[in-house]
Amino acid sequence: MLKVALLAALTVFICYGGNWLFGQTMIERPLVVGMVTGFIMGDLHTGIIMGASLEAIFMGAVDIGGALSAEPVTATVLATTFSIIMNVNQKAALALAVPIGVFAAFISMFLKNVVMNIFVPIINKQARENNQKGLTFTHFFMWFLNYFIFSLVTFFGVLEGAQPVQALIKEIPDNLMAGLSATGGLLPAVGFAILMRMLWSKELSPYYFLGFVMVAYLNLPSIAVAVIGVIIVILNAYRDRQLLQIENNQKKVSVVNTEDSLANSEDKEEEDFFE
Amino acid sequence: MKLTKDVSKEDKKMLNSIFWRSFTVFGSRAGASMAHAPGFIYSIMPAIRRYYKNPEDQAEALSRHTTWYNITQNVGTFVMGLVASMEKKNSEEKDFDPDSIVALKTSLMGPLSGIGDSIFWGVLRVIAAGVGISLAAQGSILGPILFLIIYNVPSILTRYYLTYMGFTLGSTFIENIYESGSMKLLTKAASTLGLLMIGSMTASMVIFKSKLSIPISDGKPILIQTYMDQLFKGLIPLLVTLGCYWLLSKKVNVNWVLLGVLVLAITLGLLGVV
Repeated sequence: MLKVALLAALTVFICYGGNWLFGQTMIERPLVVGMVTGFIMGDLHTGIIMGASLEAIFMGAVDIGGALSAEPVTATVLATTFSIIMNVNQKAALALAVPIGVFAAFISMFLKNVVMNIFVPIINKQARENNQKGLTFTHFFMWFLNYFIFSLVTFFGVLEGAQPVQALIKEIPDNLMAGLSATGGLLPAVGFAILMRMLWSKELSPYYFLGFVMVAYLNLPSIAVAVIGVIIVILNAYRDRQLLQIENNQKKVSVVNTEDSLANSEDKEEEDFFE
Repeated sequence: MKLTKDVSKEDKKMLNSIFWRSFTVFGSRAGASMAHAPGFIYSIMPAIRRYYKNPEDQAEALSRHTTWYNITQNVGTFVMGLVASMEKKNSEEKDFDPDSIVALKTSLMGPLSGIGDSIFWGVLRVIAAGVGISLAAQGSILGPILFLIIYNVPSILTRYYLTYMGFTLGSTFIENIYESGSMKLLTKAASTLGLLMIGSMTASMVIFKSKLSIPISDGKPILIQTYMDQLFKGLIPLLVTLGCYWLLSKKVNVNWVLLGVLVLAITLGLLGVV
């Protein structure tokens, strides 16, 4: 189990640390993490399928401005590892991923937002002294330290958590298992709700229901939905641009009009004065 | 592309260096007080080194950028290019106010992140994931690979060209697209596409199946689920998603919503509904 724990921690370090070192290229998303974990643990197929399910669950786990609702890397690595190494039922492993993700998010935020504050005076000092090599070193050292410490969570999670989890899953009654499976089915709702909060407006909300019906009743694949969406956006953009031009022209006209009327009133005043 | 043609060879070298360094901008996070300032300093170091020959001036410029920094990283390079052009001006003109560099940088963080987050997080990633998930769910390795390609090609191109745009177009460009209303059109287009995609994913990925049935003395029991499907397909997933959205819009913490869904699903399981 020590070897598995080390490999799992290494996967977290590569995917999570790598994502933020290489321009947030989304290698921290469950789709990719699942594949990498599956490859490292020796069952690529299971890894990819777990990744697909977890991607849907964690769709709304977006790291915006250092605040995140759930941390997908640790959750994906642990759930996929448990599923491959210990033959845990996939649905149960998916349900387990959620509490893990929420817990990991707390640790990640605590590390990044609180602990890493200790470097603030060092950076200020190095900037004042024009120590460019030092600043570069601090930047990369902070990266390493943060993700190294964070990977330890997974290391101990596998090392200490594997047996309790296995015992727990063996004794779970059927209806609780059904409940856990249902959790995996309903949790994507939370993720989509977070994204909807970012995009929703009364005026645009019909598009949400259009997208729903396109899949629920018409069974369109997601590429078709995306293409239809782009077509709608283009058609709307032409109209909106025309409207905007009319609006801008009107603004110009009204500006000219007020200038005219101002000039007229001044003329009048002059006339009054001379009368 | 026209943007990169008018730039001199030395400028190109510097901007390319900023582009490559910008990949690491969020690598470190120096707490809530400084956020990604170290990454920003590292990224624009080539500009500072180039325009200030005097170590004291360099130190002053570096200290200037130890302030809080956070912009969606694929669009943040616009600000890096812009800052490079302003540092250049500052080094050439004696009466240039260096405080205006930080002021402009800070004022752009909100609006640029707003557009960047909704386009890259809300739309591009959702589309890429939608394609990726449908392939990966069948066990195809193309799923994760297509996901990475669909997301990264546009986002890296954006990162590259915005570095140059920030440097050549400067601060007036931003004011113009706000005034002409183009910014509003861009946000609307992004939201339309995003909502359509999320609606389609609500239908395909939020799953609820009840096993409740009404026993009939002579014949097959009636499954409740069949009735619900006849009423409206995917009614429960749609209602649960809208319910979560409603709670979030009422400022309920997302962890409570997550926990609520967990408890709801497990309770339904214990009661034998699912």
